[in-house]
Amino acid sequence: MEKQSYQYIENPLHVTRREFITIGGIVAAFLALPAVWIKMVTSSNNNYILARTKGLYRDDEKASIRVSHANKSVARYYKEFGGEPLGHLSHELLHTKYINRTKGLS
Amino acid sequence: MNVAAKTYQKGEIPGVIAIKASACKGCDACKRHCPTGAITGSFGATHSVDVDSCLSCGQCLINCPFGAPYETSDTVDEVIARLKDRNTTVVGIIAPAVRVAIGEDFGLPAGSLVTGKLYGSMKKAGFEILDNNFAADLTIMEEGTEFIVRARHAVFGEKSEHGAEIGPLPQFTSCCPAWVRLVETKYPTLIPNLSSAKSPQQMAGTVAKTYGTKVWGKSAEKIYTVGIMPCTAKKLEASRPEFNNAYEYNKKNGRALTDKPYPDIDTVLTTRDLSRLFKKLKINLAAEKDADGGSLLADYTGAGTIFGNTGGVMEAALRTAYAVLTGEELKPLEFKPVRGLKGVKSASVKLKDTKYNKEVTVNVAVIHNIAENIKPVIDEVLSGRSPYHFIEVMNCPGGCINGGGQPIYGNGSSWLGAIRPLFAWK
Ligand code: SF4
Ligand code: SF4
Ligand code: SF4
Repeated sequence: MEKQSYQYIENPLHVTRREFITIGGIVAAFLALPAVWIKMVTSSNNNYILARTKGLYRDDEKASIRVSHANKSVARYYKEFGGEPLGHLSHELLHTKYINRTKGLS
Repeated sequence: MNVAAKTYQKGEIPGVIAIKASACKGCDACKRHCPTGAITGSFGATHSVDVDSCLSCGQCLINCPFGAPYETSDTVDEVIARLKDRNTTVVGIIAPAVRVAIGEDFGLPAGSLVTGKLYGSMKKAGFEILDNNFAADLTIMEEGTEFIVRARHAVFGEKSEHGAEIGPLPQFTSCCPAWVRLVETKYPTLIPNLSSAKSPQQMAGTVAKTYGTKVWGKSAEKIYTVGIMPCTAKKLEASRPEFNNAYEYNKKNGRALTDKPYPDIDTVLTTRDLSRLFKKLKINLAAEKDADGGSLLADYTGAGTIFGNTGGVMEAALRTAYAVLTGEELKPLEFKPVRGLKGVKSASVKLKDTKYNKEVTVNVAVIHNIAENIKPVIDEVLSGRSPYHFIEVMNCPGGCINGGGQPIYGNGSSWLGAIRPLFAWK
């Protein structure tokens, strides 16, 4: 079957006609004012991004240890099991190879 | 439906994101957020996702005002079944960005840091905890060391100890599976530049089923690993067939109980999925008491936790690389130039490599929101004119804290909420 790139569905919105027109208006307005639109969207997005970003930096600030090489449990992992970073076992367990996917895999 | 999927290996989820035709209004909003132009369909018509160029990043999903994109893989019920099975140790591997977002699904303000409550809720649900921040620290040890080896090779001609091949500079980070997939599908000549270190999620899965068998006193066959991620692309990453290193290792060392292979990560839940799981189990995270992680695999440092922010991997790597090269800690530890929401952030660090007793300058760059920012940086690298030695790339704007698996309320879907009053709708 040919791939369909257009598909129209009768009133898929389940909204009243007036609401539909309003949404249409909103969409049209967005298209007409992309700069304002992007600014509004990004600023509301940014509030969330900034709040979460701050949360993680706070987690860092209150941590008693703040550098990976001083993580005692990581050191213990290497001592009891993993050997050393980039060591033999690290290559086997913690590193990987990537695949050229431009050639068609299947 | 998508007919031909040419860019997936056998066994991989062929695209985590699809668009529900009956919900799509053809408003084109998603296209503005898609890093690869994978969304087709003209304005006003139903849109669809071209799985071969899609990175499964989920940015279209969290930014569609009509909730039309959905995840093709949903394993919440499967995980609940495993949690109820007393024979299985279910290990929840919690990414950094989850702890500052999941509270939003339980009525807490955006950005609330709820690590303790999250641990408590997970224990109540029956999870053992492997904090992915532990694995992030492990990633820094591997990836940071790899960078030092590459840099010393490039600058001082140092040979590798075991005769292994040493990759070129700049080194790219490899924690973001959407970015890795972009390289694999669009820029394969850059593959050698990617750090060979696996992402924290995949390291965590392997560690859980090898070293973790000692920590929890369970055989690998009885351990079920669940990545809990801010990210939809992690679902695809976990399904890559080569990620069964723990099984291969255990088999080789006579520790496999059966011939049945198992993946390093059995399944992935997004932050949203985990909220749904808690709600199904009647766990109210906001009212839960704080708990601790319960094992050494939940110990993490401040460097591990900032992985979820854009610039975090670079900052964590610099803290460690600086200490290894100079023998002193970076002061102050906060490395401000790589923080913030600028599209491409760059910085130079002058330091003395004590091994060679020479001053070197390390140029780093941090890129997020690849939909808008990656092109010029890649062009520079491809043409050999890149001034950078180490480049962090995260697909999502702001990094994983704004990943495609994060709570949507007030984020993408806030568009309508923000605009409605203007139009006096209702
Ligand atoms: S943003 Fe949502 S509704 Fe609009 S075209 Fe994209 S999928 Fe369809
Ligand atoms: S998941 Fe990401 S890459 Fe795929 S269609 Fe959506 S925005 Fe584009
Ligand atoms: S930036 Fe983070 S959340 Fe976004 S695709 Fe990459 S790993 Fe996933």
